[in-house]
Amino acid sequence: MSRGPKIHVLPDEVINKIAAGEVVDRPASVVKELVENALDARATSIRVELTGGGRQAVVVTDDGVGMSRDDALLSVERHATSKIRDVHDIEHVATLGFRGEALAALASVSRFTLTTRPAGQEAGTELTISGGRILEVRETGCAPGTSIAVRNLFFNVPARRKFLRSEQTELAHARQVFLVHALAHPETGWTLRVDDREVYQLPPGATLEERVRQLFGGDVLTGLRSVDAVREGVRVRGLASLPQVTRADRSEQYIFVNGRPASAPVVGFAINEAYQALIPRGRHPVLFLFIELPADEVDVNVHPTKKEVRFRHASRVRDALVEAIRESVALPAASEGGADRNLSALFVASRATPALQVVDLPELPAFSYPRLDPAAPVPSAERGDAAGGSESRVSVEPATPAATPAEKPWSWCRVLGQAGGLYVVLETEDGLILMDPHAAHERVLFERFMADLARHELKVQGLLSPEALDLPPELAERVRDNLSLLRGMGFGIAEFGGDSFVVDALPSFLGPVSARALVAEVAGHLERGGRRSGVERAAEEQIAMAACKAAVKAQDKLTVQEIEQLVRDLAASEMPYTCPHGRPTLIYMGFDELRRKFGRE
Amino acid sequence: MKLTVNKDAVLEGLQKVQSIVSTRSTLPVLYNVYLKAEKDRLWLTSTDLEVTVRTSVDAKIARTGGTTLPARRVFSIFKELPANEIEIDVDDKDTASIRAGASFFKILGISEDEFPPLPKFQGNRAYTVEQKLFKSMLQATHYAASTDETRPMLNGVLLSFKGGKLCVVATDGRRMAMWEQEMEISREQEGEWIIPTKTVNELLKSLKDEGDLKIQVSENQVAFEYDSLLVISKLVDHTYPNFRQVLPGGAEERISLERELVLNAVRRVALLLNDRSNAITLHFAKDHLEISAVASDIGEAKEKVAIKYRGKDITVAFNPDFLMDPLRNLDGDEVAVELSDELSPCLIRNDKPFQYVLMPMRVK
Repeated sequence: MSRGPKIHVLPDEVINKIAAGEVVDRPASVVKELVENALDARATSIRVELTGGGRQAVVVTDDGVGMSRDDALLSVERHATSKIRDVHDIEHVATLGFRGEALAALASVSRFTLTTRPAGQEAGTELTISGGRILEVRETGCAPGTSIAVRNLFFNVPARRKFLRSEQTELAHARQVFLVHALAHPETGWTLRVDDREVYQLPPGATLEERVRQLFGGDVLTGLRSVDAVREGVRVRGLASLPQVTRADRSEQYIFVNGRPASAPVVGFAINEAYQALIPRGRHPVLFLFIELPADEVDVNVHPTKKEVRFRHASRVRDALVEAIRESVALPAASEGGADRNLSALFVASRATPALQVVDLPELPAFSYPRLDPAAPVPSAERGDAAGGSESRVSVEPATPAATPAEKPWSWCRVLGQAGGLYVVLETEDGLILMDPHAAHERVLFERFMADLARHELKVQGLLSPEALDLPPELAERVRDNLSLLRGMGFGIAEFGGDSFVVDALPSFLGPVSARALVAEVAGHLERGGRRSGVERAAEEQIAMAACKAAVKAQDKLTVQEIEQLVRDLAASEMPYTCPHGRPTLIYMGFDELRRKFGRE
Repeated sequence: MKLTVNKDAVLEGLQKVQSIVSTRSTLPVLYNVYLKAEKDRLWLTSTDLEVTVRTSVDAKIARTGGTTLPARRVFSIFKELPANEIEIDVDDKDTASIRAGASFFKILGISEDEFPPLPKFQGNRAYTVEQKLFKSMLQATHYAASTDETRPMLNGVLLSFKGGKLCVVATDGRRMAMWEQEMEISREQEGEWIIPTKTVNELLKSLKDEGDLKIQVSENQVAFEYDSLLVISKLVDHTYPNFRQVLPGGAEERISLERELVLNAVRRVALLLNDRSNAITLHFAKDHLEISAVASDIGEAKEKVAIKYRGKDITVAFNPDFLMDPLRNLDGDEVAVELSDELSPCLIRNDKPFQYVLMPMRVK
């Protein structure tokens, strides 16, 4: 024992290296620490320069407040920070960094140069440190603000250096950090130079939309809706994608908590819940969301890199997120009334200049419905083929210039026919639409179900003779657990001993579906849904989704009139583009696209 | 084959068979009508593989044989031909030369070998019913059949020849229509079969008010023979549920209603509702019936009808279609409604051995 290792206090230099391991693991984290410092120094423009993927050099220059000579020297001491003073302050951290570790850590594992000048002083300070040892402190002339260069990262920690990846990989990570911060702070101007080549030059004072356009291009924006809602002190703002714009992974979800790129498990759950029933499983929306809440409601001191945060009231954050997203990606309710509803004028106008006329095309009564959002498939309503007989119904529609179709709240549409034994072909003012009537019908029924339920207007149709059904034990258990919920949703279901149940009434709008098929489908989803944290609405939605699916399955005949009604109902629904399970209801092909393909441009 | 046929006669024949000619089959020959010349008759057959319809017309046969020709085109050509006599001459490549007066058409056909063979029919039970009666029975019941594919046994009309009665039944589990007609049936002849809805619709189109109808049933098919028509259909191969248990016991109130008056009132009130799952409410009070509907996003409608009624006040809600269907499909001036309360089944009768059971709706 006596010859065992002796315990002794580590010198600061070693402590800093250890801390560096926590704070800095690759050039990207250097960028992050430096950029956060720059932002905390109230910079209005920040320049990031990367050389050799950041392995050779990361230089971050800002025009912030700068530091005096003494402050500069203090800043590279461990736990030296201007951002908090005592424990109490940790609860109210409003700045990005505060642990006071970053600069000391960086300086200990690189060749480090800090050049800084506060706006009020004439001379700046240049500090050169190598592997934690101060080599030189001298006066220098420089612009107001701070510039920090971190060169040869981990030159003195070979074990760490070995873990650095290829130049491209490190560069990609570093760029991602730049991107995230540039998004988080559109008010700040940003420049990114990679190996002396300018990659981004983002002017200050931008809005989030402008910043997204600068970084991702304008196409992304068309599928995004702006989000801004406050609930119980939690503000959620930003941009969220319409259900038809999805990605295979979460890489295009940018979440910021009080301006800091961060996340928490609850955020992921909330996003899933908000988009549940809108997008297919395994797909993810595109999001740029800023969650803002009082500083003492969120604990950012969970992890040194502050990637993950904890919320004091996670459920409030969840509710706020779900509500904000749903509110914005839902369509505005179709505006009733208004002078624009002069249908005949609309109709005539849209067919004023046919390029080719088919003279014996039957003129059929118009039907109209509220225009769908132009960002997505835009069906509309006009003529319906009521006859549905002659096979030689050719139609060549005018290629409408459609100056500002998005302005008109109503549109026309007609049913051209059916394709693939399922899809309905529709023609609208702006293009062709293929509609999956099953998916469309599911969407319409689903919203109807939830709306009737919310308004306590659910109609229940009694059955002539109660249908008895046996379920496998597992499903029976789930049904038993949810009996009162099911009854509240219009299922006249009761236990009948063992794993048997009787059903004597069903929600009427589900149509002629059999109780057996319906309950089997619903029970299956109760099981699959698992015990979803007792959120009643989520459970109701699961049930409604399953019921609508079963109902639609049971219906395999549609008249043209019913299709027209379906188009109208779909257009009036909140989320017309996808079925409750997230499959698309419509595929749109614009006349512009057709013209292009036919080389008529 | 080569023959001459009277224009009106052949048009009438084509008319009878062409309604089931496919409009969307992927099998080209199903768009065609099968013509067969045999012993002074031209046989016309069409099929969609589930239902087959065959008829024949007088013809002067010069050379026997058979072919298939596009049904709708041939019909429209024949209709416009300028002469009463049509000569059809088909060569061995199935090209038909059609001559009438100064007109000449050459139509490319498809070989008769490609046409699905006529089902070999070996009926072991046979019944004879008046066409007019059978048509009324189908008319009064067929609409209640289910369209829910998951319950194929309900996707048709049940013909039950049992216990000295022919009973025609249709139901979708929400309502049931049934007509029970006394009929002599020997014990060996007893049986129950489900006729697909499509076949029922075909029968309703062509059954007449005169003459008899012969029904023959085999293992899995049924044949209806009437006038010069033969309709052969597959049977729905399932067991029909026990429909008699659905018939309600005695109701507390019986109210006589003028059929058309009430139908029209219900139809008007239902105009308010834009989908068929919404309820209309009937309020029976002393000497009047109030029919009303409310849709929170549309508005409301109300209509009063004078009736003879002294019973207790009853308010009951129904799916408007379920209520209108029997009123629309029955004849006669009056129907009787039997009711007890807002939850019990409602029974509608007329002066025939007909009953319609309907379950009310309620609001959750």
